[in-house]
Amino acid sequence: MTLPKGFGSAGGGGGTSADVERMIGRRVENMTGMITLSYLAAWLATFGGTAAGYFYYPWAYPTPSGHYAFIVLTIVEAIGYIFCVKVMEEGTRKNSNGIVAATIAGTAVGTVLISLYVGN
Amino acid sequence: MVNEVTVAMAQMPALIPKEVEIQRLKKIWLIVIAMGSTAASVEVDNFVDGSLHQTSIRDSAFTPAHWWLYSHFVALPLGWGAVAIYDRRVPILRGPNNSMNTGLKMTILGYLATMFTIGVNEMWHFWFVEEIFAVPNHWMFNMGVVVAFMGALAYVVRVYARLVELGAETPGENPYVAEMYKMALEGKLYSRSIP
Repeated sequence: MTLPKGFGSAGGGGGTSADVERMIGRRVENMTGMITLSYLAAWLATFGGTAAGYFYYPWAYPTPSGHYAFIVLTIVEAIGYIFCVKVMEEGTRKNSNGIVAATIAGTAVGTVLISLYVGN
Repeated sequence: MVNEVTVAMAQMPALIPKEVEIQRLKKIWLIVIAMGSTAASVEVDNFVDGSLHQTSIRDSAFTPAHWWLYSHFVALPLGWGAVAIYDRRVPILRGPNNSMNTGLKMTILGYLATMFTIGVNEMWHFWFVEEIFAVPNHWMFNMGVVVAFMGALAYVVRVYARLVELGAETPGENPYVAEMYKMALEGKLYSRSIP
């Protein structure tokens, strides 16, 4: 097929698989590490945000209320994380279920521990 | 069964290799999921903000509920702007006259409205230190979000419909849903006069 300007050989003709690879860049199924780090960063930021509420504004944000928000948001983020990884890897031979399970389990345990022991 | 439904849909011309297009559509999908999670998290913040305003009315613009709310009103227009930049690499997502996709335009305009409403809102509250929900400065927040959601729905359905057409996603089994995808691919999800 005809490829966009800058790809394929000069004078028309088809593109090679190397040209297709160059147009794609990093494949989405190889982004699991970056997606996992983003999820963990979002989870830590959520902890930071809710902690700012109950440490600096305890009269407005009681600690149990902050923990409740933290738990609900962790669930929201976990759904997004699972969705991202599964959609990016569908239709390929890649399978990161182990990484996803370990990450979700880790944040679940972390969420419970933080809710039990952190705060006023 | 999957192929039957796919073949029945309108076949758009392939202007870039199929594999490249699937990868690009999925990269757009990644950004959209991240922004969807952000928007969902702000639903929680609506309650946090409402709770604070019922206890302290409005002590300051700089409360955690406002950091969260206002930063998302800045992050989402920037995120959708990033989608608009990357979107140029997928020919099927072009709008009328090779311009930006109409749904994407609506989304960015809607969230830009909310972003500028932060300033309008702070001006209002400089004089009126209340937090009545129905005051005019709050209208544009709500209207902007509604416009943005409508546009985002049109855009996201179009991306999904193209992934279905390319065989990368499973089509809806419900015939009404399948018809909606077909309309989306033809750029007629909301109106036949606005492609």
